Amino acid sequence: MARAITPQRKALNTAIAWTFGIMIFFPILWTVLTSFKTEAQAIADPPVFLFFNWTTENYTTVLERSNYFRHFWNSVVISVGSTVLGLIIAVPAAWAMAFVPGKRTKDVLMWMLSTKMLPPVGVLVPIYLIFRDIGLLDTKTGLVIVLTLINLPIIVWMLYTYFKEIPVDILEAARMDGASLRNEVTYVLLPMAVPGIASTMLLNIILAWNEAFWTLNLTAAKAAPLTAFIASYSSPEGLFYAKLSAASTMAIAPILIMGWFSQKQLVRGLTFGAVK
Amino acid sequence: MATQHSRAAARLMISPSVILLLGWMLIPLGLTLYFSFLRYNLLMPGANPFVGWENYSYFLSDPAFKAAIVNTLLLVVGVLVITVVGGTLLAILLDQAMWGQGIVRILVIAPFFVMPTVSALVWKNMFMNPVNGLFAHLAKFLGLPPFDFFAAAPLASIIGIVSWQWLPFATLILLTAMQSLDSERLEAAEMDGAGPLSRFWYMVLPHLSRAITVVILIQTIFLLSVFAEILVTTNGGPGNASTNLTYLVYAESLLRFDVGTGSAGGVVAIILANIVAIFLMRMIGKNLDA
Repeated sequence: MARAITPQRKALNTAIAWTFGIMIFFPILWTVLTSFKTEAQAIADPPVFLFFNWTTENYTTVLERSNYFRHFWNSVVISVGSTVLGLIIAVPAAWAMAFVPGKRTKDVLMWMLSTKMLPPVGVLVPIYLIFRDIGLLDTKTGLVIVLTLINLPIIVWMLYTYFKEIPVDILEAARMDGASLRNEVTYVLLPMAVPGIASTMLLNIILAWNEAFWTLNLTAAKAAPLTAFIASYSSPEGLFYAKLSAASTMAIAPILIMGWFSQKQLVRGLTFGAVK
Repeated sequence: MATQHSRAAARLMISPSVILLLGWMLIPLGLTLYFSFLRYNLLMPGANPFVGWENYSYFLSDPAFKAAIVNTLLLVVGVLVITVVGGTLLAILLDQAMWGQGIVRILVIAPFFVMPTVSALVWKNMFMNPVNGLFAHLAKFLGLPPFDFFAAAPLASIIGIVSWQWLPFATLILLTAMQSLDSERLEAAEMDGAGPLSRFWYMVLPHLSRAITVVILIQTIFLLSVFAEILVTTNGGPGNASTNLTYLVYAESLLRFDVGTGSAGGVVAIILANIVAIFLMRMIGKNLDA
């Protein structure tokens, strides 16, 4: 800051920004609060904000009555599985494109990106029928395969932009100093590549966790992750706001926390390096 | 540095990704195209005869198609206007000096991490429900009649929900772009007597234009495929009032089991998305050279 800002101006900025911030965050806050109310308090008019009898009974009910843990576990397996599988396929590719670029590297990258532009609904019917015929409908394996493929371009791209920033000169310097290939990889390359791989992984788990086209269309009761489980609350019986809130809070909390840690990488990953 | 040997190794390292993506693209695409020329209904087993363009003429002349195209455009444009305008203003706001900037940023970004089914159901029930929703309580408090969001304005309600989900994305990207704006130039302009509006118009906006373009293009790709929000709130109704192209194709193929017509719709959706994709690819490709 080249110029001092008056405290009044700063206070005003703070007040306006916090007002908007809280307004945007409010639906999440309200969901978390409602999850600790009784069903009657959840629909009370006038609404109760903080002064109600806090209870955790909704969490126990959701955990007891539904197969919540199974759906949570499905989400974990599908998002982590597809991310790890994607990384295994993508790391060598991104590595090669960043360090041994050929004439067509750019074309390959652009082409990979173009597959991401394919609207999922354009291939819904064949994928559904193929999965039905080979028994992959409503299986975690099936979803891991689909999510790996739809996120593979993003993984390759993110890794590529990270790897490209690793200075090649350092490698040559290490080689001159007599480092063996193994030492070169373990002590020079890996330490520089790990942060990029980690943030790619984080962002991709978030994307896979929240994916709601394929998970809704390719699963029923067995392999449904949380996205599909929560969707079952769209035609409920009886009072359900507090229980919906409890189920929702548990579904979004882990990802919200991961997301806050990854906010810097988010811009880069989602704009394919076009905005830094 | 790249020797013949390392080139070959590189090709070997790249090929799994390329082969998988090629298969993922070509096989389903080919099948979609193939199905789109067949009379193929899952409820009517038997031969699936070739019918030429029949599915296309049926899909394109269906009044639901026209409604779906209009709704898709309204949804995409509506959300874009709200998120780009709102995101620009929020980015400028968050770029100012303040206390607790990091926390405000975290609050603003949060909706992006909420899964679509959760945000749609929370908004639908706890906010927009005409009896028990917070908005109904608020209306009652103000002495207004409650508003039945999903009956009276289904598409607008969905636009609202989707905008809430995407506003953080636009804000975050535009804020990143804002932070690379040279603040000393802005201050120099201020000293030279440029008002806030002209500073915004002649300095901030041109600086953000590239980021805004990226936001518009990337969001368009995702917004063309909005699905979960519609599925859990309105099921495309009442009538076709909130059916977009994605939902219509889903309904044709998986609710009415008409694989032929659904596939023809899928091909139409692919063509539409490609038009947007071409522009986006050019933008990103240009950046790759720089």
